[in-house]
Amino acid sequence: MSAVTGLSFRDSGKLGLLLLISPLLLWLSLFILLPHVDLVMISLRERVAAREYAFSWSNYTAFFTEPLYWRTFMRTAVMSILATALTLLIAFPVAFYIAKMVRGRFKALLFVLCLIPFWVSELVRTYGWMILLRETGIFSGLLQWLGWVDQPVEMLYNDVAIMVGLVYTSMLFMVVPLVTTLEGLDDSLIEAAYDLGGSHFRVIWDVVIPHAMPGIVSGCIVVFMLTLGNYLTPTLLGGKDSLWFTEQIYTQFITRFNWEQGSAFGMLLLILSSFIVWAGLKLSRQSFTRVMT
Amino acid sequence: MQAQSSLKEMDLECRGVTKTFGDFTAVEDISFAIPRGSFFSILGPSGCGKTTLLRMLAGFQSPDSGDILIKGRSVLNTPPNRRPVNMVFQHLALFPNMTVAENVAYGLKRRNVDKHEIKTRVADMLSRVGLPDAGGKQVSQLSGGQKQRIAIARCLVLNPDVLLLDEPLGALDLKLREQMKVELKQLQEKFAATFIYITHDQSEALVMSDQVAVMNHGRFEQVGTPQALYYEPATRFVAGFVGESNRWQASISARDERGFRLQTEAGLSMQADREIGDKSASQNDWGVGKSLELFLRPESISVAPGHQALGTENAYQGHVESVLFDGARSQLLVRIEGALDLLNVSLPQTAEFRSIRKGDSVSVGWSSAQVQCYEV
Amino acid sequence: MKNLFKTSTVVLATALAFSAPLNAETLRLLTWGGYAPQEVVDKFEKQTGIKVDVTKSNNEDMISKLRATRGSGFDLAQPSQDRITSAQTDFDIYKPMDLSKLDTDKFIPSMLEATKKNTAINGDVYGVPHVWGTSGLVVNRKAAKGVADYTDLCKTDLAGQVSYRLKRPTLIGFAFAMGEDPFAAYADTDKYAGILAKVEAKLIDCKSNVKAYWSGGDELLNLMRSGEVNAAMAWDAGGWKLNNENADITFVAPASGALGWIDTFVLPRKSKAEEAAYKWINFVMQPEVAAMITEAAGNFTASQGSDQFVNEKLKAQFNESFPPKDIDNIKWYPPVPPGLEEMEGKVLDRVKAAQS
Repeated sequence: MSAVTGLSFRDSGKLGLLLLISPLLLWLSLFILLPHVDLVMISLRERVAAREYAFSWSNYTAFFTEPLYWRTFMRTAVMSILATALTLLIAFPVAFYIAKMVRGRFKALLFVLCLIPFWVSELVRTYGWMILLRETGIFSGLLQWLGWVDQPVEMLYNDVAIMVGLVYTSMLFMVVPLVTTLEGLDDSLIEAAYDLGGSHFRVIWDVVIPHAMPGIVSGCIVVFMLTLGNYLTPTLLGGKDSLWFTEQIYTQFITRFNWEQGSAFGMLLLILSSFIVWAGLKLSRQSFTRVMT
Repeated sequence: MQAQSSLKEMDLECRGVTKTFGDFTAVEDISFAIPRGSFFSILGPSGCGKTTLLRMLAGFQSPDSGDILIKGRSVLNTPPNRRPVNMVFQHLALFPNMTVAENVAYGLKRRNVDKHEIKTRVADMLSRVGLPDAGGKQVSQLSGGQKQRIAIARCLVLNPDVLLLDEPLGALDLKLREQMKVELKQLQEKFAATFIYITHDQSEALVMSDQVAVMNHGRFEQVGTPQALYYEPATRFVAGFVGESNRWQASISARDERGFRLQTEAGLSMQADREIGDKSASQNDWGVGKSLELFLRPESISVAPGHQALGTENAYQGHVESVLFDGARSQLLVRIEGALDLLNVSLPQTAEFRSIRKGDSVSVGWSSAQVQCYEV
Repeated sequence: MKNLFKTSTVVLATALAFSAPLNAETLRLLTWGGYAPQEVVDKFEKQTGIKVDVTKSNNEDMISKLRATRGSGFDLAQPSQDRITSAQTDFDIYKPMDLSKLDTDKFIPSMLEATKKNTAINGDVYGVPHVWGTSGLVVNRKAAKGVADYTDLCKTDLAGQVSYRLKRPTLIGFAFAMGEDPFAAYADTDKYAGILAKVEAKLIDCKSNVKAYWSGGDELLNLMRSGEVNAAMAWDAGGWKLNNENADITFVAPASGALGWIDTFVLPRKSKAEEAAYKWINFVMQPEVAAMITEAAGNFTASQGSDQFVNEKLKAQFNESFPPKDIDNIKWYPPVPPGLEEMEGKVLDRVKAAQS
């Protein structure tokens, strides 16, 4: 008797748990798992005739045999890594300043300053950069007014413009985890290293960076993934030579009606970017769970 | 301070050091000198400016005025990483991402000492602090006391002219703290290094130090040996801060060549000698009616069971209000007949007091030379 | 990106599926910017009580949207006539038109016949004409002299002042300008591939001249307005619009012939408001209403007799850009056979990736 009641009690507990996590399961399966399964299925077929498809690896082999696609991916990955590194380089002093050098209201103000660009959509932000950088834009006008150049300069439509846009867009996602980890760093550790004879550089290298490593890595992962998956910034700021892998996917889906190739590219992007993140974690000797918690 | 020691033997000297933060004066016109190899403590309540003073010595803050000299040379323009001074932090600040040996070796590496030499010096230092096998351990594997020793070893391995310690025992539990006090003193003697130790715990300061400076509101109230501070507190603050005392607010009811007749607000009348206590004011100027604060150490009070003549200038009858038994530090709370407040009396460790109980009547008394009087 | 795309497709489809039955008397129109001006929509609603939901789009986007929803979510769409049969063959997203429900006498007969022919599969007609226009050259005559054909965009003195789209019209236009006839080669894949190879080489060679490949009409207008671009391949309406602001800029019909397109009306396969759709077509084909659309879009319509309601300026601009011989020289897009667009896509990819 008691065994039966015990069992039913345990069952009702299980049911409760099931009810509790069902929204999560639904969310995961409906919006993440199913679309990906669908994506895999579509990527593994090939159009043989109108409305007729057959199983094929050709969409995947196309990626490796057509140098254009492979090169576009490599370029995207390298640019993303570069953008991540630049973002880190710029965000680190900013984060250090916010976390360690200022207090109270001014700190909040600085944080808000980092946040403000995100109150408008990415499109508007990118157009903002276009207005600044274009040949008839504000920077060009300013340089002419200062007399540093004697004719309009085009600063838009090149890789530097892409990089500027990407770094700008990613800033917050690097600053926040860095500030969080740096705030946890005991000031006396910095002072101790300094007191023991460390130069500024050594103190940062020996004490601050090791402590901030989880923040650095998680910031880098987020920024890298965001950059790799960015579409608007590289296409709008990059101009005629901008090749971005997501643009390739978009083109396959929307302008070529080639969902098969687009899906394959999507899966490849997922796999390859996961691999890069994994490699990054290995190199920095961080574990994913530690970084993300 | 010690007028006989010449400047050259001084490891550290401060001259008129002042530091203000806005309207707040944290350190005000402090001057002192510390001879080589001594253990010097700065004792004071929190907020008295002792941490600011220490940080100025280390170089993390610079004084608004005054000068700091180490071995006779001003270090005001020397940044912390080049001052021949090292600091043990309140929470020790051992680098968690390094092993124990790496922690100890850190300062040597920054001085570009040869690798082999670093190895031998670190091993030597670890064995000198009694942790010869801890080198490969992670900091988190050490106990509180071991961390303490590593934090000190990390500094001492650099042979600093002065070692600064910022209440490093504060985080330890009581028992370990008692033990570490002794250990610290022994370490200091073993290395013959100059230690400057700041604390708010008078017991730490008294036990370990050769010299103690009592600090209050940014100033040194008194600098002296622990004995001097304890037995001859120069100011009312020192008398109240160092050691335990019975305290009374009183006024002078009569005076003669030997001393004063005092009447406390709580209704006690007693005799006190001149020139005991306050060194800042001329006691000759004190007239009848002058308000004073009186301090009397519990161990200066003679006590006897029942009605006995104690032969002291001040003698009273009272009864035991309670017995606070604490081994060697046991005390009696005695209510003197006709007085409002309780008297704190050290319990003599003799057989006749073993069976003393609440309500027993006792005779108490103290010599007029034991009453420390201070201007209010 | 891929997640976003898939998720938004699912969300969009779900939202549309749920919202549709709620407003039965709503016409969901998938069209180009300017084809359904607010005043026309208001007038229609006043007359029929039917609300019109306008979604602005372009050829590829229309096909992609309807493909993702398998022909549902919209009641009427307006792709170009040459893009209908291939999309229908591959994705089955349209349904045939019932011409008896249309006032066919309101259409210019030749245009209606041509469109019927080009959009027919197995005798079923899928599209009727609405707005037509051409693409050719928009030139700042003062800053860029002597631009008479597409290939002139590659002249060295125009370096950095040129823009065109990386889309199929550019391939076709350059092919004509290079003396080929791509439309004639539609049926011959090998020949077409040969033409594309030549065009690809030309476009890669020309890339250094390009300021930026434009993708939206407004983007091009801004580039021309600011003077950053002085010669471009673009739609006639854009050129005339710029002409209103700056007399130096106008649309020029290229020597090898402007490319003529006709945007149509088609019924998505799962259209829920077919009757409303026919009503809308009949409504906008009235000459006065068609003239309003011409004013908004800048292009003429297939409505018989609407010219007399169009303002004189636009007519004058048209006549200046199109002397009679140039009208005869317009190259009308024939239906694109399936498979060609994939070849073109690869060419465009390679042009994009080439280093200038």
